[in-house]
Amino acid sequence: MKIKTITAALGSLAALGAALAPAPALASAEALIRAKCLPCHTEGDEGISRISQQRKSPEGWLMSVARMQIVHGLKVTDDERRTVVKYLADTQGLAPSETDGVRYALERRLNAVEQFESEQFTQMCARCHSGARVMLQRRPAEEWEHLVHFHLGQYPTTEYQALGRDRDWFGIALKEMVPELARTLPLQTEAWTQWQARAPQVVKGEWSMSGHMSGRGGFSGVMKVSAAKGKDLYALSFDGRWDDGSEMSGKGQALLYTGYEWRGDLVVDGTPMRQVFALEDGVLRGRMFLRDQDEIGADVVASLQQPGNSRVLAVHPAHLKAGMAAELRIVGSGLQGEVSLPPGVRLLETIRRSDAEVVLRVEAADDARGVHQVAVGEARGGTLAVYDSIAAVKVMPAFAVARIGGNGTPTAKVEARFDAEAWAAGPDGKIGTEDDFRIGFVPANWSVEPFDEVAVRDEDVKFAGLMDAASGVFVPGDAGPNPARRMSASNVGNLKVVAEVAQGAERLRGEGQVIVAPPRWNNPPIP
Amino acid sequence: MKHLKAINNKARLLDKAVAEDRIEEVVAMSALAGCTATVDPGWEVDAFGGVASLCQPMESDLYGCADPCWWPAQVPDVMNTYPDWNKDAANTREDWRNLGSVFPGDKL
Repeated sequence: MKIKTITAALGSLAALGAALAPAPALASAEALIRAKCLPCHTEGDEGISRISQQRKSPEGWLMSVARMQIVHGLKVTDDERRTVVKYLADTQGLAPSETDGVRYALERRLNAVEQFESEQFTQMCARCHSGARVMLQRRPAEEWEHLVHFHLGQYPTTEYQALGRDRDWFGIALKEMVPELARTLPLQTEAWTQWQARAPQVVKGEWSMSGHMSGRGGFSGVMKVSAAKGKDLYALSFDGRWDDGSEMSGKGQALLYTGYEWRGDLVVDGTPMRQVFALEDGVLRGRMFLRDQDEIGADVVASLQQPGNSRVLAVHPAHLKAGMAAELRIVGSGLQGEVSLPPGVRLLETIRRSDAEVVLRVEAADDARGVHQVAVGEARGGTLAVYDSIAAVKVMPAFAVARIGGNGTPTAKVEARFDAEAWAAGPDGKIGTEDDFRIGFVPANWSVEPFDEVAVRDEDVKFAGLMDAASGVFVPGDAGPNPARRMSASNVGNLKVVAEVAQGAERLRGEGQVIVAPPRWNNPPIP
Repeated sequence: MKHLKAINNKARLLDKAVAEDRIEEVVAMSALAGCTATVDPGWEVDAFGGVASLCQPMESDLYGCADPCWWPAQVPDVMNTYPDWNKDAANTREDWRNLGSVFPGDKL
């Protein structure tokens, strides 16, 4: 794609920048790129050198432009950078399917464990940064080759770290990785061609939303989206409530990149939050997190109230104990028609209902079991787990990294937040077999223990941080050398995370692990 | 590796981990998005998936590793990319509070 040929219809970008943050009228993206990039990049038949031969996510383009500022002395304002990033993400972005499997990086899920089929890719690329950072780019072979040269020039250590010095890193990078990347992550793809030709998606309207935040619980509500002044810019307001009944509300705005990459900025009950969602067929899916502490966030799904978009997003709570009565909230869009409950679950009372929410009081029979669909008319998608007893507890995530911080430093602590996931044994009564089923998140009593003998010796439990017994929120220790520790070590640690779930007199135990690490000072949007 | 002999405790532990085929466990722990899998030395975890063999406190010898880009995705390298990152922290034992994040605060 040649940049110079795809610059039509950009006049409204000035308004976009102005609406994002009140600012003077801006130059068009094309004019900005000419003025700011062409002093170094050259223009030819193939477009602008380096720039025209790459496609990336909005965050990927942001990191590229930011690197030009940091390393090469580019002078741009924040508004100018936003304008350029929006333009490049729109015209040289990724199709939705090209982000499949690696959206965790955009969504700032930093406890995601990466696994790639190519061991070579893991060792050559993903040993320093996330593999997702690579997987969210598309380039031809020549451009991947430039990237190899850039890495060795900028970070020469690459060749003499472990997994570098024990092989011909440069030779492998050029002769094996470049062809592999050009083959698996090429510039031109059918998916991108088709995505560019698609009709714009509907964004405005009322979105029914369901979410879960570790350490806080579930929530649901309605997000109203209206057009704001600027291309692909929307005003949004959210009204909802947590599953414990407390209210939540927020206001803000969102910008849609590449026709589907939703990036929202809103203030929820006084706290700035960001939304990183993907829009597809009337559904927004992704994560909403604290702007300034992005490890605190919620998994979110939302669906647009519009004809033909009947969906059940979730049932709150999504599990029910056999023989018990409870209030259930079915959240979705187009919730019209008869409610279909799992076998053995009886409707006692319809408390209230709308297209976005059906609130019921139900009772599960003593012998009701299993995970079954909950439907409302044509709307499908939600499930309810009915169980008689919890057989096992898993700590989610099983591994997490917290980071020390604070203590007079400009870098905040990074918490680790855990959920206790209950599992039932299924019809065979044995846990660990194929018929086990997931019940859902349950309250637990949380604690930490030394992970191993070394952690006992170094008193990691005492120094590395505090686990909140009720919420599963682990707050790491202060940054800086700690004279009270062996060799004045900082408050790092290796801890076992223990969830204890009470079931009558029984105590079920689940275990995970948290590494309390030093701060990450280089922390771009894609890890 | 057959021509190298471990002469200190950490190296002996490494040999032992290799002999016990525990390297896979370490890779699993350090494959968390955002952490480096470089463990010689590591930033988040050591070669055993723990923290006891990290340079500690890291403030005492930070620049020896970070300057030449040992963990450039986590710690700013002063050699090439962020020459001024530590201008207010010449002595990390004393000035460690002056080290901060490098990416622009304004994101998208």
